[in-house]
Amino acid sequence: MDLTLTPQEESFRAAAREWLEAHVPAKPLASLDTQEGFEAHRVWEHELHAGGWAVVSWPEEYGGKSASLVEWLIFEEEYYRVGAPRRVGQNGIFLLAPTIFEFGSEEQQKRILPRMANGDEIWSQAWSEPGAGSDLAAIRSTASKVDGGWVLNGQKTWSTRAVFADWAFGLFRSDPEAPRHAGLTYYLFPLSAKGVTVRPIRQLDGEAGFAEVFCDDVFVPDQDVLGVPGSGWKVAMSTTGSERGLTLRSPGRFMASTDRLAALCREGDRVDPTLRADVAQAWIDAEAYRLYTFGTVGRMLAGESVGAESSLNKLFWSELDIDITQTALRLLGPRGVLGADAPDAEGQWLADFLFALAGPIYAGTNEIQRNVVAERVLKLPKGA
Amino acid sequence: MRFGFTADQRELAVAVREILTSELTPEVRASGAEASGRRGPVWKALSEAGVFGLLVPEEHGGLGLNELDSVLVLEELGLAAAPGPVAETAFVCAPLLSDRPGFADGAVAAVAAEAGGYLPDADVADVLIVLEGEQARVIAAGGELTGQPTVDPSRPLFTLPAASGEPLDGGAALRDRAVLASAAQLVGASQHLLDAAVEYAKTRKQFGREIGSFQALKHQLADLMLDVEFARPLVYRAAYSLAEGKSTASRDVSAAKVNAAQAAEHAARTAIQVHGAIGYTDELDLQYWLKRVWWLVPSWGDAIAHRARVAAAVIDAGATMRTP
Repeated sequence: MDLTLTPQEESFRAAAREWLEAHVPAKPLASLDTQEGFEAHRVWEHELHAGGWAVVSWPEEYGGKSASLVEWLIFEEEYYRVGAPRRVGQNGIFLLAPTIFEFGSEEQQKRILPRMANGDEIWSQAWSEPGAGSDLAAIRSTASKVDGGWVLNGQKTWSTRAVFADWAFGLFRSDPEAPRHAGLTYYLFPLSAKGVTVRPIRQLDGEAGFAEVFCDDVFVPDQDVLGVPGSGWKVAMSTTGSERGLTLRSPGRFMASTDRLAALCREGDRVDPTLRADVAQAWIDAEAYRLYTFGTVGRMLAGESVGAESSLNKLFWSELDIDITQTALRLLGPRGVLGADAPDAEGQWLADFLFALAGPIYAGTNEIQRNVVAERVLKLPKGA
Repeated sequence: MRFGFTADQRELAVAVREILTSELTPEVRASGAEASGRRGPVWKALSEAGVFGLLVPEEHGGLGLNELDSVLVLEELGLAAAPGPVAETAFVCAPLLSDRPGFADGAVAAVAAEAGGYLPDADVADVLIVLEGEQARVIAAGGELTGQPTVDPSRPLFTLPAASGEPLDGGAALRDRAVLASAAQLVGASQHLLDAAVEYAKTRKQFGREIGSFQALKHQLADLMLDVEFARPLVYRAAYSLAEGKSTASRDVSAAKVNAAQAAEHAARTAIQVHGAIGYTDELDLQYWLKRVWWLVPSWGDAIAHRARVAAAVIDAGATMRTP
């Protein structure tokens, strides 16, 4: 065991810190769930990319630095430490891209990844449907084979930022006769395509962070099928592995927020042993998450796959995020409900709390994750 | 950066597990503390394997290893709910007394406690260490011990009239090692309780099916696994900090104890619930782990006390650095 960094890793950290401190906007950008904020965040993605920091773990030919897993963790620590803007392209960069690296053709990788990396094309997920949430394989939207491609029909929902995004990645039923997991195919389609209608849905914070996506005879060429037709479930499970595993919520996020929480407690006027204990517990749990991630990285470097254990990861960070932000709101008392633009507001805690509340729901609800842990890790018998 | 153990460190733990599996039979365990403790076959086999010399320098006949090398052994002791003052002698006390004869090979046993606290297994110990603040004092055995009957026959507790002993250096480090030892054993015991509950849920049938197929139990067990999995890395990290003499070592052992104690309380509670009425009896060996947990959780400070220590470091002193 050795928790020290190599000179190369230390200089990677120093370079990341130097660049971020010089470039991170002094004033927080407008919310990325507004048109103005979305475009401001896209500009930030352009800037990150120009500096070479947009997708550090990707190969150079796609705009990355070929950073190791440890270097990626270091970059994330620095990114959150300095309070850099949220990543408007995260669904593409962190969820779709690993799937494209695994299942995409070379042509798809060369065509799609560079424009994702530089922020020209922002991606949105089109999986859930009114009747297919936790039970994802209940998808009813269809894809029919036609000459040179497929025609999509149906309704998708809870598509994050689809109102402003450029492209979507979605699962559609391409073979209505096949068993329900076998008849799905993974498609990529522009949200500006003929036949696509996007209806915004306002979230708890009042902003249009969600959307419904309606497809009426939307043509998708064969080149935009990801993986083999009929293999959509397998391809999708690769995406969920990224979602629940390492890439979606790096420890740096929680290290930064618990350090800020400790400062809020230290500087605040509310001193209470229970609140102090909650702050300490959140800090300890963030540390546990960091160390657990180091263990995961070690197993990955040794060539082991993470598999169903990534559900433990997702359960832990999603509960931790709520613990951290709810504790901050308690420290703030009545000021906790003030919007970030209120004269008396202190930081982004309310926005962070609202964002955290979604954690146990997206990327597979925590109830589903507990089933996965019980059945696939603890090997308990399947339910009725 | 590497967060894992060497082959040597893992093999040592495997050797200890094999000894505990073969020697600590249900009969040996049931025969009581004196027979299965330091006078019994388990103690003898662990001595022969060198467990008591782990932290004893080579010039005194030990293996000259450190806390990180030994932490997996501590976890094994918890996993087996091993009887006798093994962790107390080998891990908590030996580094202060290793220039004395008998520590490298388990010929002597030692236990420690806070002044006014309870000394576990003091009746079989040759040396007692009492810690007052950061001042350790060594007291020769044979003084007037008062037995304090407890819920756990495999871990008898004793009090000592206020006695002045010979002062020893290293009291603060002894406390940190004692906290780590309790945390590591709690993680091991929690893992056993989780394993036992999962195993029972796979075999016990009601309503014509295994009770582990019911979601109400699945979610309890998944939540317990979550607690155990996110306590263990803190224990390993604390062992690393102690071994490397990091400035954050005290904070890190406290963080380890907080999550280990919480996981263990959760494990004890869940294991009883999953087993149902049979879990509430002393006919099942489960009781040894439950009772070990109930003793280890409050010993050397419970989660509340250690959370307050972390709060003092992180909130008041601003010691938020993760890896000094």
